[in-house]
Amino acid sequence: MAEIVPAQYQPPLPLDKLILPDGAAGAGDRMELDVLIVGAGPAGLACAIELAKLAKADGSELNIGVLEKAAALGEDFLSGTAVTPRPCRDLIPVLADRDFPFRAPVTKEAVYLLTQGGKLRLPTPPTMHNRTFYVASLCEIVRWLGAKAEEVGVNVFTGFPAAQLLVRDATVAGVRTAAAGLDRDGQPTPGGTAPNDLLAKVTALAEGTRGLLAQTWCQWQRVESDNPQIFALGVKELWETKRPLDRVIHTLGWPLPRDAFGGSFVYPLEPNLVALGLVVGLDYRDAALDVHVLLQRFKRHPLLQELLAGGEMVEWGAKTIPEGGFYSLPQRRAGDGVVLLGDAAGFVDVPSLKGIHYAMQSGIFAARAIFQHLKNGTPLGAYDRLVNASYIATDLHRTRNMRLAFRRGFYVGGFQAALMTLTGGRFPGGRYRMHADAAVPRRAATGAGAAALSNGISKVDAVFKSGNATRDTIPSHLMAQPDVPVEVARFYAHVCPAGVYEATENGLRINPPNCVDCKATDVLGPRWTPREGGSGPKYKRM
Amino acid sequence: MTTLAVLEQRDGVLRKISFEVVTGAQRLGVGGGQPVEAVVCGAGAVQGLDQVAKFGADKIVTLTSPAFARYAPEGYAQALAERAQQGGYRALVFAATATGKDLAPRVAAKLGVGVAADLTDLAADGGGVVVTRPVYAGKALLKVKVASQPAVLSLRPNVFTPVERPKSAASETVAVNVSASRVTVREIKAAPAGSLDVAEAQVIISGGRGLKEPANFKVLEELAGAFGGRAAVGASRAVVDAGWRAHADQVGQTGKTVSPSLYIAVGISGAIQHLAGMRTSKVIVAINKDKDAPIFKVADYGIVGDLFEIVPKLTEEIRKLHG
Amino acid sequence: MKIAVCIKRVPDSETRVKIAADGKSLDEAGVKFVLNPYDEFAVEEGLRRKEKAGAGEVAVFCLGPAAAQETIRTALAMGADRGVLLLADKIPVDPFESAKVLAAELKGTSWDLILFGRMAIDDYNHQVGSLVAELLDLPCVTAVSHLEIDGTKGVAEREIEGAIEVVDFSLPAVLTTDKGLNEPRYPALKGIMAAKKKPLEVKPVQPGSGTLEIVALMPPPERKEGKIVGEGAAAVGELVRLLREEAKVL
Repeated sequence: MAEIVPAQYQPPLPLDKLILPDGAAGAGDRMELDVLIVGAGPAGLACAIELAKLAKADGSELNIGVLEKAAALGEDFLSGTAVTPRPCRDLIPVLADRDFPFRAPVTKEAVYLLTQGGKLRLPTPPTMHNRTFYVASLCEIVRWLGAKAEEVGVNVFTGFPAAQLLVRDATVAGVRTAAAGLDRDGQPTPGGTAPNDLLAKVTALAEGTRGLLAQTWCQWQRVESDNPQIFALGVKELWETKRPLDRVIHTLGWPLPRDAFGGSFVYPLEPNLVALGLVVGLDYRDAALDVHVLLQRFKRHPLLQELLAGGEMVEWGAKTIPEGGFYSLPQRRAGDGVVLLGDAAGFVDVPSLKGIHYAMQSGIFAARAIFQHLKNGTPLGAYDRLVNASYIATDLHRTRNMRLAFRRGFYVGGFQAALMTLTGGRFPGGRYRMHADAAVPRRAATGAGAAALSNGISKVDAVFKSGNATRDTIPSHLMAQPDVPVEVARFYAHVCPAGVYEATENGLRINPPNCVDCKATDVLGPRWTPREGGSGPKYKRM
Repeated sequence: MTTLAVLEQRDGVLRKISFEVVTGAQRLGVGGGQPVEAVVCGAGAVQGLDQVAKFGADKIVTLTSPAFARYAPEGYAQALAERAQQGGYRALVFAATATGKDLAPRVAAKLGVGVAADLTDLAADGGGVVVTRPVYAGKALLKVKVASQPAVLSLRPNVFTPVERPKSAASETVAVNVSASRVTVREIKAAPAGSLDVAEAQVIISGGRGLKEPANFKVLEELAGAFGGRAAVGASRAVVDAGWRAHADQVGQTGKTVSPSLYIAVGISGAIQHLAGMRTSKVIVAINKDKDAPIFKVADYGIVGDLFEIVPKLTEEIRKLHG
Repeated sequence: MKIAVCIKRVPDSETRVKIAADGKSLDEAGVKFVLNPYDEFAVEEGLRRKEKAGAGEVAVFCLGPAAAQETIRTALAMGADRGVLLLADKIPVDPFESAKVLAAELKGTSWDLILFGRMAIDDYNHQVGSLVAELLDLPCVTAVSHLEIDGTKGVAEREIEGAIEVVDFSLPAVLTTDKGLNEPRYPALKGIMAAKKKPLEVKPVQPGSGTLEIVALMPPPERKEGKIVGEGAAAVGELVRLLREEAKVL
């Protein structure tokens, strides 16, 4: 076949399996809370901390529970990262910037357009000059927030993934967690644990990119957005280098093919601790494009070879990023018994790929709306009004058409024009994307495809470096259509940075333990569901 | 000052580990010519004890009691502590075997000190001892100064290759009285076959598709058997998925760290990538018929050739060693 | 049954070891700390014995820094009734000093069982349980992988090289637990919540400096390049010799 349209091979979300009536059989423990937050990330934890603050100021008590699928805080979180302390100041006003869990402030910065052997320095975009950004590790931010949450009495339950929504009519009543200890065929074993039901007056879904329950709720309640949400896949490595790096670097161009949109980042957390990664929009046209392989190639550019010589890669990871911006936000992010936070709602600023502070801010707004709802019965829609009146909405609205600039790796406005001039029109004026990534046709690979890995780290070794130690006997959490054609199997093998999919003579082979929960598969391939708590990567400083 | 080397016997026969203990004990005397006294507890004469003189024991002592027919934790500890308390010992050296790990701390506590345990190196240092021991699962080495008098030390097995330094050793048998025991070894029974967990084994022999069919794993099981209970047979994911071996045998693909002393990869070519978690093994041996197989880049030692000829020969050699 | 379980907070087994600037200790930046895996068997066994007896108490004791409170909470979440943190900034290098502190704390109560994990996965010292037993003058069985108790009589099994030792002992006793003894339970959601309300006493202690002193913490020797020893069955003899004499694994 000449073309693959991924959507043709994706099973739909099984809503009947993802939505259960409260009281459905099958759960072990049942716990009732005032507020349940799914996901202990910046959005979820900021929401929890703010709620606890509001309750304390009010002299009341709230039973707040945060569910996190990783075995320990931070393990499933990954980002570039460059953050602004703005919402941290809002959340915990008494602390100074230096008390926040950020690393070095960004002082120097360079942008390059790369060719195979060379580079062209591009002018620094104006937006970077006036704001204070810090390089940070999202894992560290999450652990810090988690400690603050525990201090104010929030219950954080690690190792408990939320797998299904519990509902009463059209109201979200809570979630059911995934079972643990199932065998390869999905059957319970004596050492395992049954799912738990957690019920709450309000459930905040802060599951991050491509959140399963967030998608489920939107589909179930027919909450639409102007454009479908679209995604990029980022593959990242953390290196201990012999040479110091004193600046933040972004690159465009090589090794990405012309019809793929993306860029790279190279950020020093410390002079000799460097985070680098490649981010590529998932609407690329070549079925053989492999982001992990491109990253390995990218590292061979002289700019990086020098930096990385003699160094050691200490961690590897991958994650998708929602990049649809303003037009891809669900029309409302609040409903009966539920609110959507952070990346799960799509609050990511397209040109700068910044989402962490929006996540935290959305968590803070949600907390205020939830508190008023519990106290006075004010409808949860107040959350949407708070977001719409805030800098989250104004920022996202300002950049609503900047997809192309976003593709170029983080720029805005006139810079786009400068780019086109400098590169002689190499970067097209842009397509106005209206299609979901899965609907975009791909040119099928002929033969082995251009993306064979000839150097760098293999996918399986990379998975090892993500700290992934998922048990090999775990049942598959991925829903694939049976009998996918071999070209599609090959496409999946290239999509997945973790080597979960292989095209063999017997068809598609799935290696579920490899999965690092990046969700690229959910966007373009077999649908993703959560596995038992503690599965997946164990990022330390990603 | 004398160094007391504590030997081990089972069923009245001296265990080979004893020679390593004497060799290690020797290191404290080097340069000072300090004597090594080898001591063993037993119900009567211990077979093979005289061999110890070959490795440099100046004196060989058997502490006997009817209670010592089998390992008697409290009795042995009491007898050894009483001997050490007679004075004149700079150090007590044990083997860090299952028995030694049980016995050494009991003796040390009676002497009011702790054990510098599981050592890979030791040397005299003025009046004390300086030792090296692996920590963090071998990811680092700790160098420690031991000032206790006497120093109580235990040596990691298979490190102190016995060195012959024959001496003419005087032999002595001393009957000892020990108090009634609250802990008694009732019997020693055989370990059930195949009970060794791949994740815990000191030696892992892993087979891949090169074995051609499930029945051929017998060849690896025989090799494992030759290691006398220390070895487990593992399998690559490919082979487990093909249904040749049980899931429990699978050496992790996603990086479950197995850290055996010895990892032998048989008929595994480049699928080493699937076994990323075994890279912290102390020594990796590869056996494969393809000399360009990527496994040889990761292995410390390799043999190129037909595994069906090589593995049985290896089994034979290992049996000879352990026999 | 009155059961004491002694636990330790240790770096996770997957920790990438970096040596601190002082050259003597682990650089703790980014290190994840967990309940020592061998101690999990001890906690689990304590819980099972108490459940079997129908009544009693499982108390958890930990010598460690303030952060070890989290480790104690893990045991409380599994079902232990109360915890005591013997607060010391640094865990002594000399295991005998740790043993003295623990023994002093345990001395006042008549325990039926005092359980330890066989060894800690950071220092591999493998002895604190035995040392405490001697200090308290209690019977001790180490590395227990199977256990039966009938009143004041117990039978334990422990692995020795290539065989199993069956040991009779009397209670009260100190036991150190090995893998295979049981399958530790996952803390349930309710257990995690309940753990926050269970008593956790913090007692500052001053361990002595002991007779062991760290000179240095060093990385292991570099892995040398591999070599192909030879071809076919003829190369086996040389391989075995090298494994014996050079690699020292046989």
